[in-house]
Amino acid sequence: MILSVRDLTVTFRTEEGPVRAIDGVSFDVAEGEILGVVGESGSGKTVSLLAVMGLITDPNAIIGGSIRYRGTELVGLPARALRKLRGAEIAMIFQDPMTALTPVYTIGWQIAEQIRAHQKISARAAMDRAEELLAEVNFPNPREALSRYPHQLSGGMRQRAVIAMALSCNPALLVADEPTTALDVTVQAGILDLVRRLRDRHGSAVVFITHDMGVVSELADRVMVMYAGRIVEKGARSELFGDPLHPYTRALMGSIPPLTGERPRRLPAIPGSPPSLLRLPQGCSFAPRCPVRFEACEARPALPAGARAAACFRVEEFQS
Amino acid sequence: MIYAILRRLGQMLFVMFGISVLVFLIFFATPGADPAARIAGRNASPEVLEAVRHSFGFDRPLPVQYVLMMKKIFITGDLTSFVNRGWKVVPAVLDAIPVTLSLVTGAAILWVVLSIFIGLVAAAWRDTWIDRGLMALGLLGISMPVYWLGEVMNLLSQSRYHDTWLFSWVPPLGYKALSEDPKGWFLTLVIPWVTLAILYIGIYGRVLRAALIEAMQEDYIRTARAKGLSESRILLRHALRTSLIAFVTLFGLDFGALVGGSALLTEVVFGLQGIGKLTYDALQSLDLPMIMATVMYASMFVVIANAIVDMVYILLDPRVKTA
Amino acid sequence: MNKPLLEVRGLSKRFAIGSRFSSEGRRIVHAVDNVSLTVEHGETLGLVGESGCGKSTLGRSIVRLYDLTGGQLLFDGQDIGTRSLKALRPLRPRMQMVFQDPSASLNPRRRVGDLVAEPLRLHSRMSRAEIRTRVAELFKLVGLLPDQIERYPHEFSGGQRQRVGIARAIALNPDLVVLDEPVSALDVSVQAQIVNLLADLQEKLGLTYIFIAHDLSVVRQVSSRIAVMYLGSIVEEGPAEALMAAPAHPYSQALISAVPVVTTDAGGARRQRILLAGDVPSPLAPPSGCRFHPRCPVAQDRCRTDRPELRPHGPGRRVACHFPVTEPG
Repeated sequence: MILSVRDLTVTFRTEEGPVRAIDGVSFDVAEGEILGVVGESGSGKTVSLLAVMGLITDPNAIIGGSIRYRGTELVGLPARALRKLRGAEIAMIFQDPMTALTPVYTIGWQIAEQIRAHQKISARAAMDRAEELLAEVNFPNPREALSRYPHQLSGGMRQRAVIAMALSCNPALLVADEPTTALDVTVQAGILDLVRRLRDRHGSAVVFITHDMGVVSELADRVMVMYAGRIVEKGARSELFGDPLHPYTRALMGSIPPLTGERPRRLPAIPGSPPSLLRLPQGCSFAPRCPVRFEACEARPALPAGARAAACFRVEEFQS
Repeated sequence: MIYAILRRLGQMLFVMFGISVLVFLIFFATPGADPAARIAGRNASPEVLEAVRHSFGFDRPLPVQYVLMMKKIFITGDLTSFVNRGWKVVPAVLDAIPVTLSLVTGAAILWVVLSIFIGLVAAAWRDTWIDRGLMALGLLGISMPVYWLGEVMNLLSQSRYHDTWLFSWVPPLGYKALSEDPKGWFLTLVIPWVTLAILYIGIYGRVLRAALIEAMQEDYIRTARAKGLSESRILLRHALRTSLIAFVTLFGLDFGALVGGSALLTEVVFGLQGIGKLTYDALQSLDLPMIMATVMYASMFVVIANAIVDMVYILLDPRVKTA
Repeated sequence: MNKPLLEVRGLSKRFAIGSRFSSEGRRIVHAVDNVSLTVEHGETLGLVGESGCGKSTLGRSIVRLYDLTGGQLLFDGQDIGTRSLKALRPLRPRMQMVFQDPSASLNPRRRVGDLVAEPLRLHSRMSRAEIRTRVAELFKLVGLLPDQIERYPHEFSGGQRQRVGIARAIALNPDLVVLDEPVSALDVSVQAQIVNLLADLQEKLGLTYIFIAHDLSVVRQVSSRIAVMYLGSIVEEGPAEALMAAPAHPYSQALISAVPVVTTDAGGARRQRILLAGDVPSPLAPPSGCRFHPRCPVAQDRCRTDRPELRPHGPGRRVACHFPVTEPG
């Protein structure tokens, strides 16, 4: 396992009391696999991966549990040691390519900066390497792109530059936080293609966070579904989408209008909206919106161990 | 680039023309203020008034008077004061410029360096006692009026503690030309520099800290952290540069205004015959030629300072294009 | 057949950006370029396309939030394209708009009941009591609770705020509602609720919609007809299901193929995608000939010089392409 997260909790102190954004999340990422993390806003998908990256800088955040990267415990690791991993072995791509790059430096400068932060090479060599990277992410004219500023590039090209930067030190683990959400669908297709190809070529493991079930189903090897700060279901891609176990997963898949075939007269929508983390229900967080809830849901269902599991008391009834 | 410079030049001429007309009209159109009566003094006989009017050219049409005055400032350079006849105003302004420039430039260097340092330190240790202490000091600096601070400085350095080791180096008040006596120039100006700079160190330090803290919330700072950069590098290379934009804007305005005469209080307190003092005296006696000359100079400087600020913008932020 | 509710003939909208004095000078963006379409009573026309294709500008031009640069706009047979804003006022209640970001389009300092009542106060002669009854009725219609009338927008979730926006838009019984990305900012689980609500309201009130969105599966769900836009022009138009099943324009084909879908089959056969080369060109300098030709996988010489017209292509369908990828039929 390249990454093992156990019982991760992230709590924010707020004026209205503590908010538990992540509540007991455990998962593993194997070398070279693509793990898809799906969830809606407030599900904790981004916060949990920011915690892995050590990028939660809010002084009011309390992080508990264990995050192990290739055996090294990251929770409580000194900042200096964490910085050595970050950007070199674990890299991250963010949602909005428009704001993810510093506006006042060229693309080449920013990529070379990361290379030189981790490797002892000359500025020249770092620039040459940056050019190679831009070529690898399909920049039509990598040499010229080196001296471009972020605002001179389109959204798709900026995201490619961010990816090139993330890959600059051949990371073993790449965390991608909704990297295509801000992009047009034809541009998204290119980026997804790129992520898949890079994994195939370099063997990096990828954690891909998104709200789009379609994206996950086309890209990921394994999938976990998050709701209100917890994992509600996990499994291999084909199992999870072929036979979803948790009522939330089923409902979420049902509420996406189909692109082909018969159009339903009405979409099977989930009533209500995702709960506020300040006022989470006592038991199962999905219970208030769940079509199959019963008395037992007053208690909180645990996520069983194992590769394929769902945190629901009625899983057996649904299993086909 | 040439186009940009020409555009600036045009802008400068336009501003100077507008201001000169305005000053000119205010002088003549101020109700109940016949310039001849003011110059001739109270109880002057009609004959004397008439003579004054004729000798100063007030009997000619206003546009002619205006053109004549402009010609005497910019072409012949022999415009003389209305109050102190024979006193040529252009050389007087030229004499005052180095005094003000020395004062303001020195103070500006001091306040830019110190406030960037303070802003950075406060932002890096935000919400700690270091940050709070520096910000409290900054507020103190902002709250101290310059004339009061200057007088206190004088009191300490010129009289009470002048003979102690601390202030024995301080020369008497006044200005010494840089070209004649560089050491004297420096020593006489040290205390005025500090006095003038303190207010701005407070303001600029606080402004920079706020801009830095805002910049540190940006997405690209998170990217920089994800790259594995050190916090000090992130602050200095990624946050500072974008934060300097507000700082530079403010600096352009303040520097232009100070060089244009707003350093008056400091000049008066330290007995420096600068532009501020010159303008102030001219306003006291409603001496149009002198007012006109100082105002022309000040407006020229404000426009130049703004042009420099725009150029610095382009250096700081590639998104700003040469317009 | 009745006359259509809306007829757009050769509509163009240009924006000037930059100033005459800047180094690049004043430049013209052709946001919408010679668009013609009709919208029948009671139908939903879906407008799709990627960012910058002009779909929002077209929507806003149709309700005359913008002045048109050229073309005609016939609403219920009346020419409204050139009417002054004042002369347009009597027609305003009949055309309404719903925006993408419900939190940005609602004044945060006013109670939501007030916001919904506002168009009634401005455009109707209802008494206060009548308005109050109508607001309560509208709240019920869009699935909000009557005790929420006195609340402020920030107390609502994104989905509920969009319901408020819809209540406000239908308050005056409009004929046409232009919905500009009404569900894009919402969570997937909430999107479906709003899509259903819009369908219900259309059925109950006989509304006509222009539904602008970039999400193709949502547009397919709600629309009777779909128009695909690229760089300011309509490249293809046709009945929703037929167009989505067999797009005739290479751009529509690429666009539809790029949508990631949930593959439930255990084998995980990934659909064949058509990857487009490069980015959408800048509308400041659109390519010659067919605007899509630099990225088109089937472009030929003719496409570089000759701009294709939007021509009939099978029943109810039109396509602007010299070499459509499907046979008409």
